[in-house]
Amino acid sequence: MTAVLSFDDVTVTARMSGRKIDVLRNISFELGQGDIVGLVGESGAGKSMIGRVISGLLPDNFSVSAGTVSFDGMNLETLGKAERRALLGRRIAFIPQEPLSALNPVRTIGSQFAEHLRHIGIERSRHRALMIERLKQVQLRNAEEALLRYPHELSGGQCQRVLIAMAFAGEPALVVADEPTTALDVMTQAHIVRLIAEQQQVHRTALLFITHDLRLAGHVCRKVGVMYAGDMVEFGPASAVLKAPSHPYTKSLLAANPDLTGPRRVLPALSDHMPGLASFAGLAGCRFAPRCAVKDQDCASTRLPPRQIGEGHWVRCSERCEAGVNTESREVISVPAAVAGAPAAVAFDRVRLSYHASRGFMGLQRSRFDAVKSATFQVQEGEILGIVGESGSGKTSIGRLIVGLEKPSEGTIRVHGEERASGAVYLTHRDTQLIFQDPQSALNPRRSVMRLVTQALEVGENYAPESERRAVAEALLRDTGLPPDCLDRFPSQLSGGQRQRVNIGRALGARPKLIVADEIVSGLDVSVQAHILNCLLDLNRKHRLTMVFISHDLAVVRYLCSRILMMHAGDIVEEGPTEAVFSNPQHPYTKALLEAVPPDNADKPWPPVLEADPAMGALR
Amino acid sequence: MFKSLINVAARRLAGAIPTVLLLSMVVFFVLRALPADPLALLLPPNATPADAEAVRKALGLDRSIVIQYLIWLRDALSGDLGNSIAFREPVTRLLANALPATLELAAVGLAFALIISIPGGLLLYGTRGTVIENVLDVLVVCMLSIPSFLWAIFLLLGFGVALGWLPFSGRVDSGIVIPDGTGFLLIDFIVNLQWGYWQNALAHLILPAMALALGFSPLVIRVLRSSLLEASEDHYVTVARQRGLNERQIILQHMLRNSALPTITLIGAQFGFLFGGTLLVETIFSYPGIGNLMVQAVRNHDLPVIQGVALIFCITTLAINTVVDILYVVLNPKLRRV
Amino acid sequence: MSSSIPSSGAFKAARPPSALAEALRQAIRSPRVVIGGSIVIAMVICAVFAPQIAPNDPANQDLLNMLLPPMWAEGGSIDYPFGTDSLGRCILSQMIYGARVALFVGFVAAIGATLLGTTLALLAGYFGGWIDRAISHLVDLWMSLPPVVLSVTLMVGFGTGVGNVILSIVLVDWTRFCRVVRSEVMVVSRKDFVAAAKLLGFGNIRIILREILPSVAPLIITLFTLQVGIGIIVEAILSFVGLSVPANVPAWGQMIAQARNYMYQAPWGIILPIIAMFITVLGFNLLGEGLRVTLDPRLRKRNI
Repeated sequence: MTAVLSFDDVTVTARMSGRKIDVLRNISFELGQGDIVGLVGESGAGKSMIGRVISGLLPDNFSVSAGTVSFDGMNLETLGKAERRALLGRRIAFIPQEPLSALNPVRTIGSQFAEHLRHIGIERSRHRALMIERLKQVQLRNAEEALLRYPHELSGGQCQRVLIAMAFAGEPALVVADEPTTALDVMTQAHIVRLIAEQQQVHRTALLFITHDLRLAGHVCRKVGVMYAGDMVEFGPASAVLKAPSHPYTKSLLAANPDLTGPRRVLPALSDHMPGLASFAGLAGCRFAPRCAVKDQDCASTRLPPRQIGEGHWVRCSERCEAGVNTESREVISVPAAVAGAPAAVAFDRVRLSYHASRGFMGLQRSRFDAVKSATFQVQEGEILGIVGESGSGKTSIGRLIVGLEKPSEGTIRVHGEERASGAVYLTHRDTQLIFQDPQSALNPRRSVMRLVTQALEVGENYAPESERRAVAEALLRDTGLPPDCLDRFPSQLSGGQRQRVNIGRALGARPKLIVADEIVSGLDVSVQAHILNCLLDLNRKHRLTMVFISHDLAVVRYLCSRILMMHAGDIVEEGPTEAVFSNPQHPYTKALLEAVPPDNADKPWPPVLEADPAMGALR
Repeated sequence: MFKSLINVAARRLAGAIPTVLLLSMVVFFVLRALPADPLALLLPPNATPADAEAVRKALGLDRSIVIQYLIWLRDALSGDLGNSIAFREPVTRLLANALPATLELAAVGLAFALIISIPGGLLLYGTRGTVIENVLDVLVVCMLSIPSFLWAIFLLLGFGVALGWLPFSGRVDSGIVIPDGTGFLLIDFIVNLQWGYWQNALAHLILPAMALALGFSPLVIRVLRSSLLEASEDHYVTVARQRGLNERQIILQHMLRNSALPTITLIGAQFGFLFGGTLLVETIFSYPGIGNLMVQAVRNHDLPVIQGVALIFCITTLAINTVVDILYVVLNPKLRRV
Repeated sequence: MSSSIPSSGAFKAARPPSALAEALRQAIRSPRVVIGGSIVIAMVICAVFAPQIAPNDPANQDLLNMLLPPMWAEGGSIDYPFGTDSLGRCILSQMIYGARVALFVGFVAAIGATLLGTTLALLAGYFGGWIDRAISHLVDLWMSLPPVVLSVTLMVGFGTGVGNVILSIVLVDWTRFCRVVRSEVMVVSRKDFVAAAKLLGFGNIRIILREILPSVAPLIITLFTLQVGIGIIVEAILSFVGLSVPANVPAWGQMIAQARNYMYQAPWGIILPIIAMFITVLGFNLLGEGLRVTLDPRLRKRNI
């Protein structure tokens, strides 16, 4: 039986600045009918590029230079443009990432869905009935009403359901899901993944599931391929790859994911980061070699062919390396403890934060939105407190309230004993600093790293003359694990992880007593994330730095924090020591959230059958 | 959606009244308080001392500027904008005759501008990355460097005088009687079934409208092209390509609608540019609109007319802004609040 | 720019050139900047060295040689390379001296409009609230009249003269600066690095000058360059209507207006100053466009 999709030794080459770079090298894998295969890798590994090869929408200077890509026995590269395009939407369908921006904002859902149906050849009279039927299949409530709405009136999860309905509408033989849940909340992710799996079963489609989350792939897919810098380094049945990974990169990728259960072990952090396109030319052999702990002198210069190590399981690594990194005996670390007897670093007392919007005729009506309803809690000196919640829960607002970027509408906030002055001018205290989530927006592109980390030294109590600043900057770089030659670079020349460290360095430069970190590792690759988390633990130990760590990622929070607050829709729904809350959750929201996270152990069943998705309420 | 439209219209109108009032104050102040001898600007050359005294009393020139303004305002609200010194006619009548001509010219000019710019912007976008794009781009920059009054001179010399293809003076050939009606010749002649005269009026409109259009188009071409470039990299466009739609469908069904928004914003914001161009274009083509009226009034030191025309320009611009805002809400669903 | 950094050892610890030097180097590579810049420089030289360059005194009326065609046409004379106007004045000399008025008015008015517009834009965009509302209302009020109409009205009130022309251009065009720069300032103000600066204790003025202004500087430079071209056009429009400089001062707009009466017999009289104006404005537009692309890293990728 012919495979639905087959990549046979495919190499994609790009012509950039006069050089030829192999963006994908010798990629081989197959999808049979009804198969689910996952492509896992960090950003830049080439997994999305494979999706573009399938759709034929490669950038102008990229082309398939070797190997064959076959769909249902046809060599895709030999087809004409129009023939190729005819396959898309009908026999090969895509489920995109970032669903909210994947639909045209000025056209209704209905008109775009109808356009798609027209394109796949369904006659106009059947459109409406078919659309409603499909939308009901993806559990979109009020399907008729949804057709008349615009994308911005739907939530991310609802948009994604529409896109899934559209993808399966043509009864395709192959569906490529490109990071379909990355932009969604954990609970919505569970729903959507279950939905995709159901649809795949019903229509018996072959599914290629692209994601950066190895654990997620382990639960959803039957077979998994691991990508690194354009190479597929390992491929095999999901259980084998996750339980007994062979390639050093796969092992470190798995190890770098913090566990949700079991003892807390140090996250091993790989040095450096995955090479970008510009560096490919210099890496003739195994592209992972520079970071590999078990490499030998041949690895960097020779490329090894795939080596079979089990039923349907192969790896691009030599036998010598199998003995490799022993990830079992990582030391167990202790929870960062609060300083006994010290007064609370931060104390919130019935704090409310509300925003007002004007609505109605001539803007005369005012409506109130409570970002934080009534928050009462304390942060102890020396501890790392975690604030967990989904988007819209109010956790970012709490962070901004702590550092003084927002003024409470009601209630009091005390920082190190002093009540924050509430007058016309709301002063921020340099004692508390905030590390922002998005390093793009958080670093002034016109300042060099040196001037960024020493920004606190330019004014006020921390002022230091220019001559002294360089020494301070070098110390800060050491603290955050950045190489000293970064000092004169600009943010645009740094990687995401390096930018985030500059972010941390800048906050540290103000010599704060408390740092709030707002989602600083979401969006970073797992190996980089591990570095940053270890860096934070170090800082807490060395400098007795109190921290508030805001995140939606439960496993990360568990690794870092001694105590956590769970937030939902502006309320603190649960509070307590991390282990206690995770092993014995009291509030139904906490319970649901814990169930929705893909478990560490690939054998446990997931996704669970959840109750109605809370995000699935009435259309806005 | 209609609620939002009424909302927008109401807000705009409510804001327009103080704006017109404030602007009339500014214009009044500039024209009355600043000149050394305002009385001289308000009298015909052969005025007697008795005339001067009468005008001084009537306009309150011996009282404070505030009182003078209130006197003027009182008169204006009852429809009296004074009399033209040069033409000895009430300003309101001059305005009523001239305004439709300018509105007609501006409308045809805008239409021509769109006919040039939309294909132009699409062409510039469609040839992106090629040598042709560079050539077209330089062409657009050259067009940008030529203001409408220079286009007017070129067109007049070229098509009017040298080639003789089109008329270049007035609204219709002399001898044609302008019927009573809306004042918009393209409407009035059709209504009266005077097909030949209609063609004549259109012919007279072509050159001045083209001058306006050529001065305005490069701006629109620019913004249309850059918003198309931005839209083509939007996520929903790449997703649409993945669904198998071809480029033509994507441009027409998806990108243009989104690109229309910043384009309309620009047209609204820069409409004053088009509208102000009528001052010189009408003068060059001897076209009897309010632009021409203003230039003549400046030459004749005819203060009441200058004031009246300024006011009319202001009111018309605000009306156009309101229309653009309403159009924007119609086209952009994000602005319609439920 | 490379998307990733090779491992630390390979990178030299050299100080990269300052942002300004880098920007200038990029700018010179753009043909628009080079061509536009050359035209501008040529015009500036014309204006500054007019007495040395011009063949005749522009005010000298040679009544024996009125409406002479240019020297390459029949009847022309080498004494008057571009011919003479209806009062026997040398057209070429008038054009060269006319550059003085044009450039002077263009530059000074652009400086004024930039200062006024940018200051208000920074205040409105950064502080928001009632400051923004007040300034925005002022801008809206000012823009409710077409710019040409407003400048004509102001000139009637002010009276003729170069200083008044500059003043009226500044008073009309600052609004355009304000609008455009304000939206950019608002975008930058909402970036996290501005909030970070506040947290570090930076005062508002320091943030505006050190964090926000450098980010909008490229936009301002571009708008300034384009504004000079616009100022030249407005001056020409005003002289056409007779509201600009006194009649004995050579100005391109005036030349055009006067030559219009003799358009049919002596078309060169009107075409030549038009060409001068066109090339000058084109120079500034090319320069402004070229600078916009080189100074804005987002546009550089697309090579527009």
